[in-house]
Amino acid sequence: MGAAGPELATPGDLVLQTVGLRKHFGGVTAVNGVDLAVPAGDLRAIIGPNGAGKTTFFNLVTGDLAHDSGHVYLAGADVSGLPPHQLARRGLGRTFQITSIFRRLSVLENVQTALLSHHRRHYNALAAARRLYRDEAMGLLERVGLSGQAAKPSGIMSHGDQRRLEMAIALASAPRVLLLDEPTAGMAPRERLELMGLVAGIARDTGLTVVFTEHDMDVVFATAKRITVLHQGAVLAEGAPAEVRANLDVQRVYLGQPVGDEAPARGAR
Amino acid sequence: MVFSRALAVLLVAAAVAPLVLPPFFLQLLTEIAIIGLFATAFNLLMGFGGMVSFGHAAYFALGAYTAALLVKKAGWPVLLALPVTPVVAAAGALLFGFFIVRLSHTYFAMLSLAFGQIVYTVIFKWKGLTGGDDGLLDVWPPAALKSPAAYYYFALGVVGLAMWALAAIVDSPFGYALKAVRENPRRARFIGINVRRHQLVAFVISGAFSGLAGGLFAFYNGSVFPDFAYFTKSFEPLVVALLGGVQSFGGPLAGAFAFKVLEWLISRQWPVYWPLFLGSVVIVVIVVLPQGFVGLLGRRGWARPGQS
Repeated sequence: MGAAGPELATPGDLVLQTVGLRKHFGGVTAVNGVDLAVPAGDLRAIIGPNGAGKTTFFNLVTGDLAHDSGHVYLAGADVSGLPPHQLARRGLGRTFQITSIFRRLSVLENVQTALLSHHRRHYNALAAARRLYRDEAMGLLERVGLSGQAAKPSGIMSHGDQRRLEMAIALASAPRVLLLDEPTAGMAPRERLELMGLVAGIARDTGLTVVFTEHDMDVVFATAKRITVLHQGAVLAEGAPAEVRANLDVQRVYLGQPVGDEAPARGAR
Repeated sequence: MVFSRALAVLLVAAAVAPLVLPPFFLQLLTEIAIIGLFATAFNLLMGFGGMVSFGHAAYFALGAYTAALLVKKAGWPVLLALPVTPVVAAAGALLFGFFIVRLSHTYFAMLSLAFGQIVYTVIFKWKGLTGGDDGLLDVWPPAALKSPAAYYYFALGVVGLAMWALAAIVDSPFGYALKAVRENPRRARFIGINVRRHQLVAFVISGAFSGLAGGLFAFYNGSVFPDFAYFTKSFEPLVVALLGGVQSFGGPLAGAFAFKVLEWLISRQWPVYWPLFLGSVVIVVIVVLPQGFVGLLGRRGWARPGQS
């Protein structure tokens, strides 16, 4: 079972923790007893070759998929099996691998709606929503660099801008921990570093804890404080970027290539 | 504002209509207002919530029969019976909607249709209460409201208030969250919205206003029949909303106007060909004017998608 032993008792400063998280699809074990401990303020990358179980692991944590066994703790509370909307209320924010926004709402309305829900006004059927949390929403758009496009229908923005908007939507719920599933998918290399630089900046300024998956090793080594490597559904290695880069097991699963060899060392924060 | 100017013109025209129009046209306008309310309530689900109901006649009929039974069997005055109609319809919508919102798309539509047919069957078979196939006759409003002009003003007032309330709901935080659920349920969950519950609340609100439309129609018609709950009646708000435009708040009302005026024009000459004509118009509108007749007004202002 990989159940919690006494040595895995939850310290108070862990924002997100999984213990023995497991999931199979038929005969395939996609996630095989993952223990993950993310302290407050961490900027954690989860990497691994294709099929390592990154996305499945993400979906287990966020309640999109039901896990077979194990536990998920959010700020010390067991949240295993809670539906997504309750996880969101308890401070788990996320973005999706495929951009997920409210396409026919304006950019501003996207963020306003998230704020209305965060402030639990979403059953109010009398107030004029247009005027509520406008400044707060504009502040978040400013933060992600979209304040100039607030009135646009969000679906016509560029792909990169839609990803920024999704970030603003997720931030509007004031999460304790933000899970980003391949936040830079489909972006040009330069845009990727910009976006993750933005995420790192927000995390630094607000103390937000971020967990992200990413394929681009340049981005990972330039952004992450710590890295967890998944392989065949289990944790293969975990540590600071330099440790992970030097880890021989990690190098082996990445087909013998030194991991992130083209990443400039000075880029690591 | 395009919207407020159009609204002002509409209100003035509606107010002076009884001075210039013969009774027949006042009745036509009354019916347009009632069907417009029914279609707008329906479109709260379809246009703003992304849920297509094939059984909304059930809530219209619950309202109509509530009105008729309270007045005929319990001897209530019309002005007391009418406010009860949305309450009973909402109760029905809550009961059926609880199961219906668990499904999506085609299955949502089919289950709503099934519950609608259950309501029809109960009304049809329960002769002792509903009169079965014979319906309930002589459900007239009091003398003061009986003339076409008086009932026209009365219905218009009630419909106006109801439309104002529905417009407020669409523009409220609840309405914003409903549009978010329509656009992307998965994302909506991750901003903390309980999607099923939100859909159910919308379903109940929609059912309530459909019931009010049914109540108004009962007193307009002077009688109620099981056909009010039949599935063909459920397609009326769908067709009307599609004609007018489901993406704008005013679309269904405009659609009701177009529907009833066309029906009168065509049926008067060639009653047999009305369904054929209607079908052709619907096809043309869907293919050429996906935003309905209000799409002709342009993309800005009140016809803009996702806005109202």
